[in-house]
Amino acid sequence: MNSIIKYAQCSSLSQWSPVFASQFHTSSALSRVVSGKYRITKKRDRPLTYEMANPPHFIAHRKSWNSWNTSSLKDGLRRSETAVEDEFIRRFLNGTWHGLVCSEVIIKRQFNHIRVAAIVRRAVSPTKMYFLIGYTEELLSNWIQCPVTLELQTVDSYKDVVFKYI
Amino acid sequence: MSVFIRHYNPGSVYNAKIWRFASTTAETPKLTNGEDDEEFRVLDILKKRDKLQRRAPRKADVPPDRAEKMRTDQKWGDVWPGPKSFHPSSVPLPIRQGYVPKGQAPPGKKANAELMKIPNFLHLTPPVIKSQCEAIKKFCTEWPKLLNSEEAIEKHYPLEIITSDYCHASPVIRNPLSRIVILRIKLSDLKLDKHARDKFLRLVGDRYDGQTDLVTITADRCPVRRQNLDYVNYLLTACYHESWNYEDWEGDKTLQDMEYYDFDMNQSKRNLVNWHLLCLNEENNFSDEEIKLYDVASIPNATEYIESVSSLFNDGESDATLKKYDTSVRKLLGLPDKKIVT
Repeated sequence: MNSIIKYAQCSSLSQWSPVFASQFHTSSALSRVVSGKYRITKKRDRPLTYEMANPPHFIAHRKSWNSWNTSSLKDGLRRSETAVEDEFIRRFLNGTWHGLVCSEVIIKRQFNHIRVAAIVRRAVSPTKMYFLIGYTEELLSNWIQCPVTLELQTVDSYKDVVFKYI
Repeated sequence: MSVFIRHYNPGSVYNAKIWRFASTTAETPKLTNGEDDEEFRVLDILKKRDKLQRRAPRKADVPPDRAEKMRTDQKWGDVWPGPKSFHPSSVPLPIRQGYVPKGQAPPGKKANAELMKIPNFLHLTPPVIKSQCEAIKKFCTEWPKLLNSEEAIEKHYPLEIITSDYCHASPVIRNPLSRIVILRIKLSDLKLDKHARDKFLRLVGDRYDGQTDLVTITADRCPVRRQNLDYVNYLLTACYHESWNYEDWEGDKTLQDMEYYDFDMNQSKRNLVNWHLLCLNEENNFSDEEIKLYDVASIPNATEYIESVSSLFNDGESDATLKKYDTSVRKLLGLPDKKIVT
């Protein structure tokens, strides 16, 4: 390395420029958007819900938001807190209702009231489901210090929410 | 299986005991089936898994939708009393939502997350709103009869205080923007004389809007609305009383210090009065002060002349002001109108 620097110091830049030019490769940016999109499988058997079937740029056109609150408006308050809480609620719900939640978890906030909506499979008995509803509401409202309401819709199986296969 | 126990007492005969346990499995000779011995065990390389018998999920008895049993004359407010996400089994409407290619039907109301996302107003149907308004009517008071128009309100309540309350989804109800207080008052509603008005406008600065004649004072420096309200009121009071104060140095203002053309203080007034008295053949021995206080309303067409002269000096020379000056001078001196020769 030292020898290169010494060589560069003793020689003029014009001698170096062709070397640098040949070592730098530039190409145009590949603006390929991949996130939130699903690949087509060979057998065309990947089930997609309506939410998954529409990529993110269709939000507000073909599908709407999963979080409804005033923090995302201009000059909204508690932006980061709201985002973190929403993510926490989503993870908690997906873990508590493990393998049961068939759709995205929809979180709507009104004043200090948080309403969580989801579509759930009827794989467990109604008794367990009632317990889980109470458990989720109680724990979440204790953590977030807000009244939390679960508004669930049940379906027979995952196939009910499938919009198309790709 | 057996246990050998050695019990040894010194000086006595060696004593040993053997216990034998009876066991059902340990030492019984293995019973083997004759067939097993004869058949070789098959080495299954591609071992096919024994199919585990999957427990069939119990099908819950799902009762038919509530919507199907609803009567047509039911009270909808009892079915949907408050804000709630859409639930297909309690809404008896054939709703569909979703984008699909042309020729297909959009997804129905069941298992449709899009319908659950959008805010609905099923709890605010017109009959429900009507009944709720009836319920809170007893807390309302009648509107005062004398305040029947905007002008009456403005006349009796000239002071206007504007504050904002914010309603947002958050565990805290406070919004820092709600502290801002705006006070508005028409300048004509304040009792000010010429000097006080001039001073008030200087104190207020750009808070006065000449077109609407409104003085707007905004306060947001205190953390609480109440404090800002007090501050705004204080500002208005202080400006008002300060504008009525007459400081000693204010008398030192000379004609050269004037920032606008005041007709009463200038030579034009003296000329006008002199000319008028000359016309009337009256004696003219007025001092400066007397000329300043001379009422020009008695001179015919003088007010228009004064206006045009003032506007010529204050607004600057332009075609409009010059033309106005021309006509007013002709009127004052009784000259005929200008004839435009073409």
